Amino acid sequence: MSTDPAGRERPTRTYAPDFLTELFRNPLEPGYAAAAQRRRVDPPSRVRARSAQTVTVVVLVVLGFLLAVAYRQTMEDEPGRSQARSGLVTQIKERERETDELSARADRLREEVGRQRDAALSGSAAARLRDLEAGTGMGRVRGDGVVVRLADASGDADAVTGAGAGPPRVLYSDLQGVANALWSAGAEAISINGQRLTATSTIRSAGEAILVDFRPVTGPYEVSAIGPGSMKRRFEKSRNADLMREVAEKTGLSFGVREADDLTLPAAPEPQLRYAEPPGSPSASPSGDRSASPGSTGSGTSPSPSGGGR
Amino acid sequence: MIAVLALLAGVVLGVWLDPSVPAALQPYLPIAVVAALDAVFGGVRAKLDRIFDDKQFVVSFISNVLVAALIVYLGDQLGVGGQLSTGVVVVLGVRIFGNVAAIRRHLFRA
Repeated sequence: MSTDPAGRERPTRTYAPDFLTELFRNPLEPGYAAAAQRRRVDPPSRVRARSAQTVTVVVLVVLGFLLAVAYRQTMEDEPGRSQARSGLVTQIKERERETDELSARADRLREEVGRQRDAALSGSAAARLRDLEAGTGMGRVRGDGVVVRLADASGDADAVTGAGAGPPRVLYSDLQGVANALWSAGAEAISINGQRLTATSTIRSAGEAILVDFRPVTGPYEVSAIGPGSMKRRFEKSRNADLMREVAEKTGLSFGVREADDLTLPAAPEPQLRYAEPPGSPSASPSGDRSASPGSTGSGTSPSPSGGGR
Repeated sequence: MIAVLALLAGVVLGVWLDPSVPAALQPYLPIAVVAALDAVFGGVRAKLDRIFDDKQFVVSFISNVLVAALIVYLGDQLGVGGQLSTGVVVVLGVRIFGNVAAIRRHLFRA
């Protein structure tokens, strides 16, 4: 390849060989050289050359066809992938909406049950039940209290490249700390972004999301608490509030406490009922389904029908 | 010149006809394209070397495509389809690089 095809007496140019050239210094298709050699010895007839050229043209048409088809194929595959993704996203959204609708319906039904029960029960028993419900988070409550607002720092970091770890975020432990501080400051009822906390509520993180009772909540987070008038003062003196103020100062999170009148906190969703069963009943199964939920009495031999499910 | 026109005609034909590739042939399409590209660059280089030969070009094109497809098929049957495809692409890629380097030297003298 470095020989001049005309074979003139010229000093052959030397090219700095790169790695790949070095690797394949020898001709890649010796067939071409051989064919050229043959032709020089025995030139083909005109007809043959013509037909060979035609075949070449046909092959090139086929090649163009192949390229176009392959290109289209690749392009067609791509929307398929993104379609599948967006389809899944739509399904998730749909299911979330369904869940919301169903839990709203459950709330309505529970209120209805509460009304019916109040009508059926005598006044003092009903009042006692209502108090218990308010205390345990099973009933909607209204009252004055405080609202603690937490928000992620505004993002300076590049959202595309994700330079650094992104803007400082509110952690689940921050919400836990605030909720605990509010409880100890005398709160009677707390909700986070409309999710009422009960004695069994969880505040956890799953990846980047924060789950309150397994329902995702997103920032800005508003922790509303109903309690006595001294609650705000006591909360602000608490260690957790100090900590959050310091964190807010250092990282740019926003943290604010304000008093709010006439807050309405919703009832907690579906209470998880757990039953204790008296030991020693003759046909009782030896522990194991202590957490059977009402309605789904899997074994029909349950010794005591869970009366009324409450 | 004719070659470029033929290539364009093929592309237009492919876009216009918009054929659907049977599912069984889909894994072979990308490999076939790479093999065809290898034959084409070999041809271009031969053209610039002034030793282009129609028969050689046609035979190398067809055999390249067929052999590449065969290797991928064999790999699929043996359960190493992915790796063998990678191998084919690497070999053809190196060959294309070599040919393009030669073409580059012809065109730019560098």
